[in-house]
Amino acid sequence: MLTTILRMGLVLACALLPAMADAATPGVDEQSIRVATIQDLSGPIAILGAPIRDGIVMRLDEENERGGVHGRQLKIAVEDSGYDPKKAVLAARRLLAGGDVFAFLGNLGTPVVMATMPLIVGAGRPHLFPFSPHQATYLPLHPLKFQIFAPYRDYMNAAVRHLVAENGYGRVCLLYQDDDYGLEVGRGVEAGLRQLGTTLAERTGYKRGATDFSSQIARLRAAQCELVVLATVVRETVAAVREARKIGWGVDMLVTASGYSAQTHELGGEAVEGLYGVSVLPHPYAGKDTSRRLGEWIESYRTRYDADPNVWSAMGYQVADIFIQALRAAGPDLDTQGFVAALERLETSRDFLAGPGYRFSADDHLGNRRGRMARIVDGRWRLITDYLD
Amino acid sequence: MIQLAALAALFALAALFGGVANALAQAAFVATFALAGLGLVLIVGQSGQLSLGHGATMALGAYAQGVLVAAGIHGALALPVAALAGTLAGIVASIPGRRLGGLFFAMSTLALALVVEEGLLRLVPLTGGAAGLVVPPLAVVDWRLHSPAAQAAVSLGLLGGAVWMARRLRDSRLGRAWRAGRDDESAAAAVGIDLGHVRMLAFACGGALGGLAGGLYAHWLGFLSPEQFGLPLSFELLMLVFIGGVRSLSGALWGAVVIVSLPQAIAAIRQAVPWLEFGAAGLELTIFGLIVVALVMWRPAGLWQAAR
Repeated sequence: MLTTILRMGLVLACALLPAMADAATPGVDEQSIRVATIQDLSGPIAILGAPIRDGIVMRLDEENERGGVHGRQLKIAVEDSGYDPKKAVLAARRLLAGGDVFAFLGNLGTPVVMATMPLIVGAGRPHLFPFSPHQATYLPLHPLKFQIFAPYRDYMNAAVRHLVAENGYGRVCLLYQDDDYGLEVGRGVEAGLRQLGTTLAERTGYKRGATDFSSQIARLRAAQCELVVLATVVRETVAAVREARKIGWGVDMLVTASGYSAQTHELGGEAVEGLYGVSVLPHPYAGKDTSRRLGEWIESYRTRYDADPNVWSAMGYQVADIFIQALRAAGPDLDTQGFVAALERLETSRDFLAGPGYRFSADDHLGNRRGRMARIVDGRWRLITDYLD
Repeated sequence: MIQLAALAALFALAALFGGVANALAQAAFVATFALAGLGLVLIVGQSGQLSLGHGATMALGAYAQGVLVAAGIHGALALPVAALAGTLAGIVASIPGRRLGGLFFAMSTLALALVVEEGLLRLVPLTGGAAGLVVPPLAVVDWRLHSPAAQAAVSLGLLGGAVWMARRLRDSRLGRAWRAGRDDESAAAAVGIDLGHVRMLAFACGGALGGLAGGLYAHWLGFLSPEQFGLPLSFELLMLVFIGGVRSLSGALWGAVVIVSLPQAIAAIRQAVPWLEFGAAGLELTIFGLIVVALVMWRPAGLWQAAR
């Protein structure tokens, strides 16, 4: 019944799209296509926002240097929300009121995304690949909402099942951040364990920004956990693993893609050796085993920004790349309807960044559900599996 | 009159550079934050109590509104309940004031903000917890307030009513008691003022305005999550009243203009100047910080107080 209603809604929305296309497509003219992104460049997750922005801008500039898409230059307006949804709403309204934005690309942060998304799709603009784990970014199916980031609950489900099958853990526990992120990871881990006929042996939470994990680690140790799943971000990952090692507890730990960062081993050092992680896009390491194309990309990024790229830069770059592929597929007569139709047919292959390859359809606007296992060995992340189903 | 002319000029500027719809959206947020700030002016400026947890009253108002609307209660009917939730939060915040004073009492209000944020996170069946709560647009009878113009009209209308009531309170016997306690506790007690009681009333009134602002904020944003109502919001509100002028009712409005619209103005300038567009992450925050420092140094009594 629900599916029928969703399909009817989709058909209705698609029927309305030609009406939008009859008018001049906003943000598009003969010379250029203008897009916008709302990032956190000054708030609590600015450490992610700046490289995401740099990755997006770099890919758009590369395309412009090659002559643009069907002869149109790509321009982007970058707004800083500071992770404040009020600022983000005003920024989105300002951009929409100007009538000069074709689509929003890679907006960052759940409160920001959830507050601005209704305005954006309500104004008939595609809302593409936001950095938010919220299911509402792709469900219920909406013609203008697209997502590429695998949901925590899907890939953590697969990762936990894989590790339990490989290493035979009997007691799996969870340390989680007390927000939507921790909640999503918890659901995935529980679902995975349920498929294996077991449940979480222990779970304990912490508030974002916590630095002391002694009580949580003591509780998990008392529960005799054999694998601890960490729904943590970089700093908390390092603090939790260090605390365990400090008290002489060598338990295996698995962190989500939010802890899969070069900073984890840079900050954690010896203590985080052996830590398992999930990667939805590999960290772009420079080294002798790096492919020539990836090496050139890293060098180009360094030249532009005087900094090493990280996994967030790569994600930003990938977001812009998929957008460009869809623009190419939509053809020279660009309008929103044609772009959405092209995106719904798009199937990308793995590129030099070794992403999973993304595929959309008219019934599914989530381009990827998979992650792959990695482990810190000799001070850097090593991929140990392909993408897991 | 001067204030109205200045506000009209600022609105015209915002409309000129960002469009009328954007200027109206800013006006809706300015008025909403001015409502919350007005509540804090009553507490801090009039009764002389430092509240570090005023965001909690906004949080409870916002969630009361969101939960009631989700339960099918009409948005316009839910707003008084949102104000009531803020009132109760204000009364609870004032209780330690009967035993504690100064900084110790201020710390207890800080604790309230932390407890409320944590509570919103834990009450998952009611609040949605960390996953958040989607709030539909405010509806008055069958009129759904989607447009920035309608949102601005409601916010400004309620702010106007709140300012009128705050003026009545300020000029009443209660207002005089607040200021007497603020200026000299011993003298106020000597003339028979029950300081604990009058301060509780200040927190109740301030909380009601905070709750009402929260109720509106829930609709204007459309999505609530506990992290939006953490300590940074309380500090932002405190900064708002000190920037605008903590002892003036109009100070809340001017503080809200600075807090809400200044970052937007800086962002608009940054995009209009090509060499600033991609550089200097956090430029808005830096400029905003410099302006706040300048205000503290040269206009310590706040924008409006100084203008007078």
